[in-house]
Amino acid sequence: MSWIKEGELSLLEKISANILKAGPMPKHVAFIMDGNRRFARKKNMERQEGHMQGFNKLAETLRWCKHLNIPEVTVYAFSIENFKRTEDEVDGLMELARQKFERLLEEQCFVNVCFAYTSRYEITNAVREMAWGVEQGLIKGSDVSEALLSECLYSNNSPNPDLLIRTSGEVRLSDFLLWQTSHSCLVFQSVLWPEYSFWNLCEAILQYQLNHKSIQKARDLHREHQALQQLEADRACVAELLQHHSNGKPADSQRRQEALLHYTACREERVRDFLEALKHKRDSFFSDLCSESLLA
Amino acid sequence: MRTRMALMYSLLWRLLLILVHVNRALFSWLHVRIQSWKGRLWERAATVLLLPISLVGFPDFQNNLNHGPDANVKPITEKRTGGGRSRCLSDGKFLKKIPVHIGLLVAEEEPSYPDIANVVVWCMAVGISYVSVYDNHGVFQKNNSRLLEEIKRQQQDLLGVDGSMHSVEFLSGGSDQHQHNVVSCRPTVRVLSPDDGKQSIVHVAQQLCRSVENKERSFKDINVSMLDLLLRESKNIPDPELVVKFGPVNSTLGFLPWHIRLTEFISLPSHRNVSYEDLLGALQRYGACQQRLGQ
Repeated sequence: MSWIKEGELSLLEKISANILKAGPMPKHVAFIMDGNRRFARKKNMERQEGHMQGFNKLAETLRWCKHLNIPEVTVYAFSIENFKRTEDEVDGLMELARQKFERLLEEQCFVNVCFAYTSRYEITNAVREMAWGVEQGLIKGSDVSEALLSECLYSNNSPNPDLLIRTSGEVRLSDFLLWQTSHSCLVFQSVLWPEYSFWNLCEAILQYQLNHKSIQKARDLHREHQALQQLEADRACVAELLQHHSNGKPADSQRRQEALLHYTACREERVRDFLEALKHKRDSFFSDLCSESLLA
Repeated sequence: MRTRMALMYSLLWRLLLILVHVNRALFSWLHVRIQSWKGRLWERAATVLLLPISLVGFPDFQNNLNHGPDANVKPITEKRTGGGRSRCLSDGKFLKKIPVHIGLLVAEEEPSYPDIANVVVWCMAVGISYVSVYDNHGVFQKNNSRLLEEIKRQQQDLLGVDGSMHSVEFLSGGSDQHQHNVVSCRPTVRVLSPDDGKQSIVHVAQQLCRSVENKERSFKDINVSMLDLLLRESKNIPDPELVVKFGPVNSTLGFLPWHIRLTEFISLPSHRNVSYEDLLGALQRYGACQQRLGQ
C-alpha cells in the first residue's frame, strides 16, 4: 500500500488546485518542517508523538504536491546541529526516519531528504571535489566557476528550488540550501508543521506566483552576469596563453577569437570528463556502502 | 469542454491575483492612515475588517498590527531634530537585542538614496556597528559616492553640528583596504553587490584549487573553517544577524549566501518614505526571535 495516502482532494480543494495550476507552478519545492516539538508541547503530547505527527504531515503534503503536479520536493529532516538534542530524542528520530523512509522508496516522485545536512558543509564538499579534480589532473584551477561548483553539490541532479517554505514562524534558513535558494521564493509561515494544511500550501504557491516575474528577471540577470564573467575569465586565460606562445608579438583579433573558441571548447570538454569521473566516484561510493551493509 | 474549463480557471486565476493586489493596495493605504491617526481603535478596525480576506502577501503587516508600536517609543515626527541621536540611543537601550551587523536588502527597482541613507543613519544612531546595503543590480555599488554623500548629509541633519565628529568607515567593492583583525570602534557602512556572494565563494575555491595545483596542499585539507577563514581574509564581512528586506520580492536575490546561515529575515513593504518607527518595529521583532541552534 502506498505510504503517500492515495486519497483524493475535496471538491473545493480540487477547484482551488485547478485555479492555481492556471498560473506558473513551482517545479521544485523545499520544506523546512519546523514546529514538531512546539506542537507536542501545545497538545501535551510526548515529543516523539509530535515527530510522528510531523511525518504523517509530510506524507499528506507529498500527496498534495502530487495533485498539484509538483514533480520534486526537498525536505530538511535533520541537521548536524540537531545531534545536540538528547540521546533519546535523537535515537527516536532515527528509528522513525528509518521506518518511514524505507516506505518512501516505493513511491515514484522525487523526494530529497536532507539528513545530517548543513549547507556550508555541502558547499565546502563541492570545493573539495573540485580540488580533487585538480589533484587528479582532470581540471585546472582556472576552470573553477559558479556553474561548476553547482554541479559538484549533492543536489546537482535537481534544479534549484523555486519555492522554500519554512513553518512555525521562524524567519531564518538555518544552514539549509543556502547556495541553491539564492534566487528562490522564500515563504515563512507561522503555522506549526504538524498543523500544516492544504490551504497553507496554496498560500505559499500563490506567493510564488506573485513573485514569479520579478524573481525570473533577477535569475536571468544573474545568469547573464555569470556568462559574462565566464567569457572574461576565458579571455584572460587565452590572453595569457597567447602571450606565452607568441613571445611578445601581439596576436591579431581573428587569431584571438579562434584561440578563445578553441580554449572554451577544451575547457568544456575537461569539465565534462571531470563531472563524469565525479559521478563514477560517487556511484562506486554508494554501491560500496550498499554492499557493505548487505554483508554486515 | 476542456479548453472552456481551462479558460475559466485561467480567468479565475487572474481574478485571484487582482484581488490580492487590491488587498495589498488597501493595506498600504491603511498602513499610512494608521500611522497618521495613531489610534488603537483604527488598528482594531482594520484587523477586523480585513482579517476575513486572506492576508496573503502581507503576513508581515499582520505581525506589525499585532505587535504594534512600542508604547515607550516616541515617534520622531520631525526627522531633522538636533536631539535625535540621544533619542535613538535610548531607543536602542530599550531593544532586547541589537544586531552587530544589519543587512539592508533593497529588493525594489530604482532605489531612493535619501531614504536608504536615512535608514543607515538611524541604524548607526541606535547602536548597530556594521550596516550593509545591497541590491541585486549592483546599483548602490556603482553609485557608492552618491550614497556616501547622502549618508553624510542625513547624519548632519539628524545629529546637528556634532554630526561631523561621528566618523563612519565606508567600504565598498573589492577587498578591504584595511585588514581588520580587531573590530573597528567606528561604525562601518558596507555597500554590497552580488559579486560579494557566490562569486566570492568561487574566488576562494579558485584560490584553494590553485594551491592544490601548486602542490601546496591536498584536497583532503579543505574544510568548512578553512573556507570560512579565507572568505573573511578577502572580505571581512561579519555574518549578519538581521536582514531587513525592502520591497515586495520574497527572495534574498543572491545576498551573501554563505553568511546568512542563521540570519533572521524581516520584511518591510518599501524603503521609499520609510519611517524611523518602521525600522524600530523591525528591530523589536528581531529582539523577540529565539535561536535554538539545533537543540
